[in-house]
Amino acid sequence: MDFSIRPANVEDCKDIARMIMELAEYEKMAEHVKVTQRDLEQDGFSKNPFFHGIIAEVPEQHRTKEGHTKIGYALYCYFYSSWVGRAVYMEDLYVMPEFRGKGIGKALMRKVAQLGLAAGCNQMNFTVLEWNKPSLDFYFSQGCFDITATVGYHCMRCEGEALERLAQP
Amino acid sequence: MEYKLRKAEPKDVPDILRLVKELAKYEEMEHQVILTEKDLLEDGFGETPFYHCVIAELQGDGASSEDPRVVGFAMYYFTYDPWVGKQLYLEEFYVMDQCRGLGIGSEILRHLSNLAMKTRCTGMMFVVAENNEPSVQFYKRRGAEDLSQEEGWRLFRFDMKSLVKMATPAEE
Repeated sequence: MDFSIRPANVEDCKDIARMIMELAEYEKMAEHVKVTQRDLEQDGFSKNPFFHGIIAEVPEQHRTKEGHTKIGYALYCYFYSSWVGRAVYMEDLYVMPEFRGKGIGKALMRKVAQLGLAAGCNQMNFTVLEWNKPSLDFYFSQGCFDITATVGYHCMRCEGEALERLAQP
Repeated sequence: MEYKLRKAEPKDVPDILRLVKELAKYEEMEHQVILTEKDLLEDGFGETPFYHCVIAELQGDGASSEDPRVVGFAMYYFTYDPWVGKQLYLEEFYVMDQCRGLGIGSEILRHLSNLAMKTRCTGMMFVVAENNEPSVQFYKRRGAEDLSQEEGWRLFRFDMKSLVKMATPAEE
């Protein structure tokens, strides 16, 4: 199937918001999603973006029955490893179910890797849910390591009331 | 021992690298640090900083002229969670052994939490090694959630070799 991979622009935010929700539903965490299309527009496409996006698009003749041609995306940002320096963090990678198995996910991830390397990055990190076997299999086949399993690194977060309490004098 | 927290400056780069290596040694990973002072300078104090740093520096005549004055630091940057928005990511956080128990660590965390709230981040994120009991307890006491344990998230990585391989399309 013909598809194209390109950087996201502000007009893509409606579809990105839609697909973020689809991915969250797949991950059984839809109730956690608070970010809106407007947030994405402001946070990703203003002077100092907090993330960057890549879109996978198919020609009109392959659009979904709801009329979507934007059928996959990746969101990423640059971060810094105190051991190796510049690095890229792939926040989300998603292809709509009916378009899977055609190399689109791989192409999206490859684009993030290429952009990361061009920006001088030495590493790419991302997280996967431990029960998400299709994704785990896909990522292992691409040559990455499970840092949680091998080194015991756990992802932690302080939010809401805990963050407010921490900020008190 | 009096200390003060301040934003890192280019002149702090040698101390930042020293503390990064000390923390890596504590985690038994010293050989993994390939960062240099030149990298830290370019990447933290150039046109587009990849990271920010806050320093804890001893004040007054308490410290001898031979002892380092920069005794703690935190390295952080801003990331984005597509579900809840901006996050402050705490990459590195360390206080020298001989300066622990003075509240420097707590003060650094307070400073960063405050910054997170001021910059409208909905959370502060970081990674801890599960066998680092003192740190795990330090954070849990302060209300941190272990997303790996509670929600099943595993951190994956492509190192340089596998990243280059993945970025290169296979010959058809």
